[in-house]
Amino acid sequence: MTCQRCAEDASIHLTETVDGEARQLHLCVRCARRAGIVLPENPPTLGLDAVVESLIKANVGELVGELAELACPDCGTKFMEFRTAGRLGCPADYEVFRKGLLPLIMKQHGVTRHVGKTPKHSRLGANRARLRLRAALRDAISLEDYEHAARLRDQLRQKDADR
Amino acid sequence: MNLDDLTRTSGEWLRGTGPESDIVMCSRIRLARNLNDFPFINRASRSEKAEIETHARGAIAAATESLSYVELNQRSKLDLQFLVERQLISRELSSADYPRGVAIGAHENISIMVNEEDHLRIQAMHSGLSLHDVWERINALDDQLEERLSYAFSPQLGYLTACPTNVGTGIRVGVMLHLPALVQTKQIDKVFRALQKINLAVRGLYGEGTQAFGDFYQISNQQTLGNSELELIRNLTEVVPQIIEYERTARQKLVSERRQHLHDQVSRAYGVLKTAHTISSEETMHLLSSVRMGINLGLIDDLEIPTVNELFIHTQPAHLQKLQGTTLEVDERNVARASYLRSRLSNGRHSETN
Repeated sequence: MTCQRCAEDASIHLTETVDGEARQLHLCVRCARRAGIVLPENPPTLGLDAVVESLIKANVGELVGELAELACPDCGTKFMEFRTAGRLGCPADYEVFRKGLLPLIMKQHGVTRHVGKTPKHSRLGANRARLRLRAALRDAISLEDYEHAARLRDQLRQKDADR
Repeated sequence: MNLDDLTRTSGEWLRGTGPESDIVMCSRIRLARNLNDFPFINRASRSEKAEIETHARGAIAAATESLSYVELNQRSKLDLQFLVERQLISRELSSADYPRGVAIGAHENISIMVNEEDHLRIQAMHSGLSLHDVWERINALDDQLEERLSYAFSPQLGYLTACPTNVGTGIRVGVMLHLPALVQTKQIDKVFRALQKINLAVRGLYGEGTQAFGDFYQISNQQTLGNSELELIRNLTEVVPQIIEYERTARQKLVSERRQHLHDQVSRAYGVLKTAHTISSEETMHLLSSVRMGINLGLIDDLEIPTVNELFIHTQPAHLQKLQGTTLEVDERNVARASYLRSRLSNGRHSETN
């Protein structure tokens, strides 16, 4: 497509709505600048992951600096992974990523306090001791350290029996 | 459980009984629950998923509801699609590839998905507008499961879920509405915009991202934190009658202003369904929707609502193949669908098969 103002190739495509009527603009970079359209800095050529990450950083702001690298000791999920995929890794993430999660929860629900049903049996929160044992067990298996894995499994079984 | 047995029956929620059932197909509540000592599903290893399933099965077996557990890992694609069409499992659960399953209650009022996005997704459905009955039933079942399972729960944030959009009550309170007149009079978008403003979500028959087949829409809460289950139920119970009223008014308007046109449309729809020799799923849903409205307006008097409700489900691809007992390509399905419709709609007065 050529620029609507000169014969160059158009690389800026805009739709503007004035009084309910949509108008399409196709301009080359030079004509767009001349028309006073603010263009973003040349976007760096990045892989999709990097683009997503930079978008997230732009949207969640400063918090990301310290949160980005924060990982849950119980399940290994990083805050950045949650922001990309939208799913947390384990119940303990709600404590670990508290600082990053509460603003998001506020945005979605308008509040950060539960009202309503409560389990009758008081086994509150994430069972972090067991979550940690399970994480160690997953690691041991992935490293093919089966002796260690067997010990961890015994510990988990012991905890099951203690309940 | 033999799934083929289900082909001869249909869920209670299709029975077309209960308050406002001409417009409210069914009321449905689901609860998202997770165990407090396992990672969420997306992080759990295969063996952990198997363990979660074992724990869940133990609790399900101990509940007083009579529930049949169906392991999904070994099931054929056709079986999985069949369960999706019946609203017993989600598409997400059907396409997974690890230990998982679903517990199904008598009359299909209850289903518990195990290892979906959350460890447990408990669902209860009743025909008509009956959210309080549904809540009592699902609440009691949840209590029983909780006696044997350690749920992940925080005093501040409530039930902890894999996605924070469900945290708190973990509840989705929904009704499935049949709104053909609002669609025809082009008022449906206006209704949706109004619903979105009060934080209610609108989805198609098969949940998130699906098209509104047959003019069926599910309306449900979006926020799960900060309001109790009963407040969320009350909210929907107050809003739904207004939508029902809009739909009734739109139907009356069609009747009073375009009676002949409407009668013609309904009769043609019925005629095509009774006589076609090949018909797509989409056209079937579209025509059944007209027929369903026609019965409710007294324009068709030899067909029952439960039969039409059932046909919406039984004419879908996996159901047709189950009924025929063989796999069918698209063209073959269209022929089989037309033949099935002719046989169900052919002789005189029709009623449910079960």
